[in-house]
Amino acid sequence: MAPPIPSPKELAQIPVDWIEERSGLVSGHKYLLFRNVPKDISWLQTLGSGLITTFLIQATTGVLLAMYYQPTPDGAFSSIQYITDTATLGWMIRGMHKWGSTMFVILLFLHMGRVFLMGSYKYPREMTWVTGAVLFLMVMFMSLTGYLLVFDQRAYWASVVAININGSAPILGPFIAEFLKVGPEFSQHTLSRFYSLHMLAVPGGIMAFIGLHLWLVIRLGVSSPPWSKHRAKAGEV
Amino acid sequence: MPRMTARERREAYQREYQFQKKTGKPFFPYAVLHDTITSLVVVALIMGLTILWHSGFGPAPTEAGGERPGGFLGPAYEAQADPGTASYDPRPEWYFFFLFQLLRIFSTPELLLFGTIIVPTMLMVLMLAWPFLDRGPERRVSRRPVSMALAIGTPIVLLALTWSGSQAPAVGGAASGHAGAALFADTGLGCASCHTLKDAGASGTVGPVLDTLNPDYKTALDFITNGKAGTAMQSYKAKGATADQIACVASYVAAWANGGAKAASVDQAKYAAACKAAGADGTTK
Ligand code: HEC
Ligand code: HEM
Repeated sequence: MAPPIPSPKELAQIPVDWIEERSGLVSGHKYLLFRNVPKDISWLQTLGSGLITTFLIQATTGVLLAMYYQPTPDGAFSSIQYITDTATLGWMIRGMHKWGSTMFVILLFLHMGRVFLMGSYKYPREMTWVTGAVLFLMVMFMSLTGYLLVFDQRAYWASVVAININGSAPILGPFIAEFLKVGPEFSQHTLSRFYSLHMLAVPGGIMAFIGLHLWLVIRLGVSSPPWSKHRAKAGEV
Repeated sequence: MPRMTARERREAYQREYQFQKKTGKPFFPYAVLHDTITSLVVVALIMGLTILWHSGFGPAPTEAGGERPGGFLGPAYEAQADPGTASYDPRPEWYFFFLFQLLRIFSTPELLLFGTIIVPTMLMVLMLAWPFLDRGPERRVSRRPVSMALAIGTPIVLLALTWSGSQAPAVGGAASGHAGAALFADTGLGCASCHTLKDAGASGTVGPVLDTLNPDYKTALDFITNGKAGTAMQSYKAKGATADQIACVASYVAAWANGGAKAASVDQAKYAAACKAAGADGTTK
């Protein structure tokens, strides 16, 4: 007897089942999408998603900028000029990266403020906070390294001053300053070092920590606002 | 609220977790909708700022390395970086203003350590360790007086520092805040590349350590104006520095070498006018 002819719906189910059987990704996604969040969750608790969006904007516009940017003392400024003045919508890409970084920092402070005010860092979410704090430091470091790349007067001198201040700190200061400058003096290697930190090393770290941060958030469940009446009896956590 | 034992704490969390999972709303579509709206607002703000910024652009420069001016959101870019610039007033990105201002506040050499290391490190450690310091189960901020004070105090202090940081003249990172430091720096007349002077954050080794010699105003003025034949110390008069610039930087060296040991012996008011005329006090570029 011939096997029954599958309906279109059953046909569509075949690749889904194939993937699910081998990876569990399908039920995993179902869990992610349809897990419950507290009933009284507030708008303030959407700031974290705003941060993810900003990170995605920075990553996308950053990749586009890297297609034109040349990290050499001669090439850097003229490639920035080309992006801003000539390339189609180049000003938009560069502008979104520039203003995206400002938005990133503002959102960081707001998100941190909401977590702080709601006491959402308390047991068992201490590690969520710590991974967030590391993200905060890495994003600030991104601003520092990104600032030089435009390689105009402002970028250059602000970076010189920032590194010199770093170097005036005792013990580790001079080492960090020399590491950033690549030697005792500011040189063309400084620019390439800033560039590789800014577009490879630190973003990799940020991605890893966002992953960790989100894993913790989902595993522990987002906290209900402390002012909510809707909570388990005799529990304050 | 009384402290809980570890077990009570765990059970209370489990109870709350199960309760919210049972009675909550599904992430999709409920939270996804709100998250999407916030994200769209964020994207709109970023694009809006970009368009505003772009609408202020002046014409692109015709000469190589030129600047392209902009409106109130700043230029498209300034002129190409030039390590040989005589005097430039460096400014960090706005969200680092508070750190710069901190450096100005801890401005004497004895306190410099506070500005560069101790305070920033303390803030960093405090941030990382905060959940381990504040361990009580209470989450309502109205019942957490210390958190409440921090929540009100921190933004006020940060905003005030950012504001004053944006107003203060840049001094090349000098601890004393003396205007002559800007001339001393690499961004000014470039003394820093040869001389060590701690206040200016200078660590050059070609010339003598000025902190050790601590020359008086007359000596400094003479060396800077005339240089010393046969040594690397050139005449800055011959190099084209103005008399005001020379008087200003000489008064700076006399007062602030050796951590300000002789600051009292130098009549600063007398040279303030020179620094102002030299444009070193940040009022002109
Ligand atoms: C190219 C390196 C170089 C630069 C740049 C330079 N100096 Fe000198 N300076 C020297 C050397 C070398 C001496 C030592 C001259 C000697 O042998 O007496 C010196 C000596 C001095 C002295 C005399 C110290 C004393 O008490 O004997 C003063 C003051 C001084 N410099 C200030 C300055 C100032 C201010 C500037 C910036 C405007 C400056 N120098 C730029 C190399 C330099
Ligand atoms: C790149 C930076 C960051 C991203 C992308 C991010 C993302 C998120 C997201 C999506 C959430 C879910 C709930 C919400 O949106 O409020 C969250 C929660 C949380 N974040 Fe962040 N965050 C970042 C930085 C930080 C920082 C700087 C801190 C604090 C130092 C922090 C601490 C927390 C904590 C404790 C929670 C759990 C809150 C709860 O369960 O209610 N995060 N984060």
